[in-house]
Amino acid sequence: MNQNAPLTQGTPDGSRLTGGPLTFTFDGKRYTGFLGDSASSALWRAGVRLFNRSIKYRRLRGFLALGPEDPNALLTVGEYPAWIPNVPASQVLITEGMVLRSQNRWPTLRWDLASMLLGPGASLWGAGFYYKTFIWPSWKTYEGLIRKLAGLGYAPAGSDLPNPKVEHPVADVVIAGGGPAGLAIARGVARSGARVILCEREPVLGGELEFEAAVIEGKPAPRWVQTTRDELSDLGVRVLTQTTVISANNGITIAHGQPAGLPGSDTLYRIHAPLFINAMGAVERSIAFINNDRPGVILSGAADRLLSRYGVLAGQRPVLFGNHDRLYDTARRLLQAGAQIQAIVDTRTDSQSPVRAELQGRGINCLSGFTVLRAQGHPRIKAVTVAHLNNPRSTQTIATDALLVSGGWSPAVYAGLQNGGVPRYSEPVAAFVAEGQPDWRLCAGAAAGHLALDDVLVDAQVTVDESVRRLNRTTASGSPWLVQQADAVPQLIAFWRSPASRHEEKQQFVDLQNDVTVADLRQALQEGFVDIEHIKRYTTLGVGTEQGRTGGTLGAAIIAELRTEPLAEVGISRSRGPFQPTPLMVISGTRLGFGLRPARLTALDQAHQQHAAEMELMSGWMRPRYYRGNGQDPFAASVVEATRVRATGGICDASTLGKIEIAGPDAAAFLDGLYLTPGSTLKIGRSRYAALLREDGIVLDDGLLLRLSSDRFVATTSTSHTAHVLAHLEFYKDTQWANQRISVTDVSEAWSVIVVAGPQSRQALVSTLGTSWQETLKDLTHMGHQSGTWRDYPLRLLRASFTGELAYELHCAPAIASSLWSELVAAGLAPFGLEALDVLRVEKGYLTSSELNGQTAPADVFASSMLKAMGQPVGKAMLNRPAFSDDNRPVLVGVRACDGKSAFLGGAQITRPESPAHSLGYVTSSVFSPQLKEWIGLALVARNQASLGTELLARDPIRGGDTPVRITGSVHFDPSHERIRV
Amino acid sequence: MEEFTFHKTLPNITDGNLFSDTFERRDNPLDSHEHWQHRLGCRSWLYVRRNPSTGAVLKVVNLTSSNP
Amino acid sequence: MRPPASRLLAPRYSALSLLRARLSREYWQPLWRRSTPQEHYDVVVVGGGGHGLATAYHLARDHGIKRIAVLEKKVIGYGNVGRNTTIVRSNYLLPENHYFYEDSLRRYETLSHDLNYNVMYSPRGVVDLANSDDEMVGLARRGNAMRLAGIDAELMDRQGLMKYAPVLDPTLPRRYPIVGGLVQKRGGTVRHDAVAWGYARAAAALGVDIIEHCEVTGLQTTAGIATAVETTRGPIKADRIVFAVAGHTGHIGAMLGVPLPVETHLLQAMVTEPIKPLLHTVLIYMYGHSEVYMAQSDRGGLVMGGTLDGFPSFAREPLWHRLEEVVQSAVAMLPQVAGIKILRHWAGTNDQTMDGSPLIDRLRYENVFLNGGWCYGGFKAIPASGAACARLVASGRAPDLIKGFNLSRFATGHVLDEKGAGPFPVRQ
Repeated sequence: MNQNAPLTQGTPDGSRLTGGPLTFTFDGKRYTGFLGDSASSALWRAGVRLFNRSIKYRRLRGFLALGPEDPNALLTVGEYPAWIPNVPASQVLITEGMVLRSQNRWPTLRWDLASMLLGPGASLWGAGFYYKTFIWPSWKTYEGLIRKLAGLGYAPAGSDLPNPKVEHPVADVVIAGGGPAGLAIARGVARSGARVILCEREPVLGGELEFEAAVIEGKPAPRWVQTTRDELSDLGVRVLTQTTVISANNGITIAHGQPAGLPGSDTLYRIHAPLFINAMGAVERSIAFINNDRPGVILSGAADRLLSRYGVLAGQRPVLFGNHDRLYDTARRLLQAGAQIQAIVDTRTDSQSPVRAELQGRGINCLSGFTVLRAQGHPRIKAVTVAHLNNPRSTQTIATDALLVSGGWSPAVYAGLQNGGVPRYSEPVAAFVAEGQPDWRLCAGAAAGHLALDDVLVDAQVTVDESVRRLNRTTASGSPWLVQQADAVPQLIAFWRSPASRHEEKQQFVDLQNDVTVADLRQALQEGFVDIEHIKRYTTLGVGTEQGRTGGTLGAAIIAELRTEPLAEVGISRSRGPFQPTPLMVISGTRLGFGLRPARLTALDQAHQQHAAEMELMSGWMRPRYYRGNGQDPFAASVVEATRVRATGGICDASTLGKIEIAGPDAAAFLDGLYLTPGSTLKIGRSRYAALLREDGIVLDDGLLLRLSSDRFVATTSTSHTAHVLAHLEFYKDTQWANQRISVTDVSEAWSVIVVAGPQSRQALVSTLGTSWQETLKDLTHMGHQSGTWRDYPLRLLRASFTGELAYELHCAPAIASSLWSELVAAGLAPFGLEALDVLRVEKGYLTSSELNGQTAPADVFASSMLKAMGQPVGKAMLNRPAFSDDNRPVLVGVRACDGKSAFLGGAQITRPESPAHSLGYVTSSVFSPQLKEWIGLALVARNQASLGTELLARDPIRGGDTPVRITGSVHFDPSHERIRV
Repeated sequence: MEEFTFHKTLPNITDGNLFSDTFERRDNPLDSHEHWQHRLGCRSWLYVRRNPSTGAVLKVVNLTSSNP
Repeated sequence: MRPPASRLLAPRYSALSLLRARLSREYWQPLWRRSTPQEHYDVVVVGGGGHGLATAYHLARDHGIKRIAVLEKKVIGYGNVGRNTTIVRSNYLLPENHYFYEDSLRRYETLSHDLNYNVMYSPRGVVDLANSDDEMVGLARRGNAMRLAGIDAELMDRQGLMKYAPVLDPTLPRRYPIVGGLVQKRGGTVRHDAVAWGYARAAAALGVDIIEHCEVTGLQTTAGIATAVETTRGPIKADRIVFAVAGHTGHIGAMLGVPLPVETHLLQAMVTEPIKPLLHTVLIYMYGHSEVYMAQSDRGGLVMGGTLDGFPSFAREPLWHRLEEVVQSAVAMLPQVAGIKILRHWAGTNDQTMDGSPLIDRLRYENVFLNGGWCYGGFKAIPASGAACARLVASGRAPDLIKGFNLSRFATGHVLDEKGAGPFPVRQ
């Protein structure tokens, strides 16, 4: 017989191992497999038993389980630089030319330098070893080496993974798990007319029915699975295979679809369904004995699956070991497939299994009351030492090439104990089940602690009825499922570990990925770590990629034994989401790369591109920082652009300014209650500089308030504060002013804004806007505004200046923004960017969020005339607190270098020269002023040190050095504002 | 859930004391008085009473619709 | 004054003692005694987290107080000291904060020696990344403030970052570009659980009673003085009482009938599967209202966190959409980890104050003290908080280092609003 051919081709849905052969490599060596093979099955069939090394002791490992719960066989798939580390070998389906590598070894899997060096001393590295050592001279001395030894695979250097698809399906029920329970529930619930989504992790449905010798409703299991699936599709049930539910919480279930076990064509499902059913089954667990981590020790369920799905025998001469009757069912299947069973070691003294009797009749060595003490052979298993539990000293050795172990099953409580749920110990399964479920979640089948197929299907019917009730539907009550034949009821009697001396406990592994042994658990207890959570953290039990799926209950049980307390008292450590490890990119959904956040573009974006603008992201908006034609860097360009604005003029896109319309009969009073400067005294057609306070009295934002009519205002806000200001106004509209007639509307994107500034701005506007606007332009005084149209679209002309020049803001419909812009360019005004705007406003001492930094009160930054006009806005009462009149409270000032030429930068700290460690404030903004031909700045400096002419130090050790500066007025250029009023 | 934005708890909704509203809290693990905004939706402000230990919503008042 | 090591009653860890332990299997001793409550203590510390244990340790070590108990509702170190992202740093803007956190960082530097317990202080550097030149100005302001105080800080541009943290590749096109960063090289990580266990062990060795599964339910007072705490294990008399209960600080206010400037919020953390060393520093990437901070643990997992879940909660059940946001930020920062898998995420309850800075002060009674309001900064504060809080309790006077953390600052207006975010735990 060809060793490499699968023994059988048949699987429940007939879709597996349908073609081939395929060639792939593992650690550089070529192997062949078949279409549908996983890396585990193909390598195992090819005789490979060594897959990896463990994280701490670097012991050679095969695989224990077939599923993502396997602690051992994690491979790196693909080629540098875009390989994927830590992929469970059982989950990845091989493809032609696939490249697989073992991990955590150097230079090769078989000959690993670190394990050779560490090997002899490895037993010293017990629990908590690191906490007691590497203290002198310091941890840093050792950390680099220890980090290199830790970790599993290597991260890729780059990632070329495509974005996942994201779907938002809506359903009434989402069921996790397509085993017998999940299938039955899906069918039952769907028959009531409910919309059902069923998610199954594996490529095939059926769960254990894949191999269980079952007959349901008169059909052999594979046919029952197929007909049920057909009926589900007739009922409109959406069945998602290779899709794992990773999170469920009250109405939102997150599932991850990943074909072939590798990232690349992933789908993230955010399922909106009021009811979630956890039918995720149970995870088989091992038993602790000496060297139970040897390659060739695998779970008996894995052997069953290996055979049924992939046609591979786990061993030619296996020994089975466990504590329940299912062992005999497995043994019979292996026997039928040609295995020579060496022995079945049952820790129970008594078994009523008829299959056992049958096997015994066929000459199989069935040992009752026996246990496996030790696995022999290195690196892979060659024999087992067994003994009767009543006489463990009298041992016998049985040669074998695979030990198939089963210590029972632990229900998938991890999906039942997050967001509610209480663990309860269940004696028949010797494990915890999740009770106290919230209304939106049910646990069913093996996940609820039912192991026998009859019980599973009875529980499924109960779950169907309960689901239908919760969905307020009348059930089209299906007939109960009749199980004519099934694997044995396990009749499990808890058995956790074989006898061993204290010394040998170091080889009894509980958590294989993290090399946690019975000795570690015993030591943790001796050191006072009694609570399961403490022990988990101290020993690293269950913190690996499988999150304690195979070792968690076992570890808790051994702790219970060592504490001589019942397992129910010890409990299990709290499980955390997600239910399965999930790639970051899948969780990210579509918000990857430039999709992280949308970039907001103004209506003038095209125009900026045409003018070779250097764009910059600011509070979500793309804004022109400078135009490259004016200089190669922001500094050079800003000098050119700012100089030109003052000489002739320029235009700037200010569309990102927030614009909020406040209307209604009570709007003026409302504004009086919120703005520092009242709205009610503002005349129609006028505008006013205005500021808002936070509740704590600190300035929230500044802007202009325009009165359009008696009951209609527009407030402008700075780009970065729009969201906060809007919410602030809406909050007070809905609470304190709840009974007033006010509406607050965000119109930011309804109006584009073009700033037209400079001595020639009026002439340019006259020629651009045409004769209908001529009178307005002539008559409009500073802070006046006029609404009208241009080319039939709304246009509001506001005379206001953030540059200190004669300037206008054109608030216009976005539809005409770019026409206006190009006409203004044609009229001789060149665009300028934010960098130049910053130069112009610092020259004038105007404020931005650099000064209004969330720490400044009105008196710190505003002129006293403005404070005198203050009404009773929200926040004002908080300004009576003593801190606001402290002598050393920083206030806004101008600063310039004492020598009139040195540069100093925003972010420099201000000190007295004689006490250079004591900060008095800092430079909020600094620019080189083309007008003054020197560096100028704005600063917040302690009031009692801020008198005009005081010489201080601008300290900037982080970028260079200190610059002597003197305090000036905050208006550096044209302090009498004559240029604005021309 | 993501559509709504929590703003703040108020110790007592009718208390007009700005200092107390702004700086003082009385944590109640079973009953929290809160203001939320339907920020990505209708932008209504909601007065919400929640049990912050379980996440259960005890009461919701839409403050916008209660306006005239 | 540091007492000699011989005062430690539990075995001192050394190569010899470990070897002996391995040879004689019954050698291992509990790190801390399981104590039963005595009738009366000089000081009762409520809360067996990092701050409570450190306070008890310093009360015993620095102030010679003999009868001290730490009362813990569950088991020690189960709260935020074991749930954080392990980052330590002192790169704060405000003097009250940076002097305090610098004191803490200095204590972390020698903590393994002081406690004879390896807390794995790893000075791998903390990098605050900037998306724009404007943000660089903000970082310069903070860095300069630190340098004035004698704290290490460096401002790096793209080239500098390229050399310091090549894993970032600042030249990659990103929605929020990386233009530079503020680096504190002495910042880094500390193994969080070890801090709790190390303090517990050292405190117990100095005679402190650590009493687990003992929940405080009330306070007995006479004439403006607290006389005892009521617990689930009966009343315990105390001359002085310290509350250091992190996420339950708000409950203490309710218990004592005092409103506090504290709101309890969830903060998530998460970890990926272990990978070989990739990230050799701590990265902090903020943009818009989002944020991620990330370090690689010594085991190899990428540990990360972001902003609060967004509303008051005591549930410790993290929300999926905040996980999404943190993960999106992580991939935006380090696109090469897109295929790495998240293993688990969890949440801690944070006591957020109305200015983002902590509270260490007397609370209502002459002999009752509060140590809380740690917001995002609790773990990195533990050593300084323990030492300073112990001084306050022992002497009755707050040392200069924590004078700013008083409760009256909200009434006087001397708030410590590091970020200018206002009295809102959740960013507006």
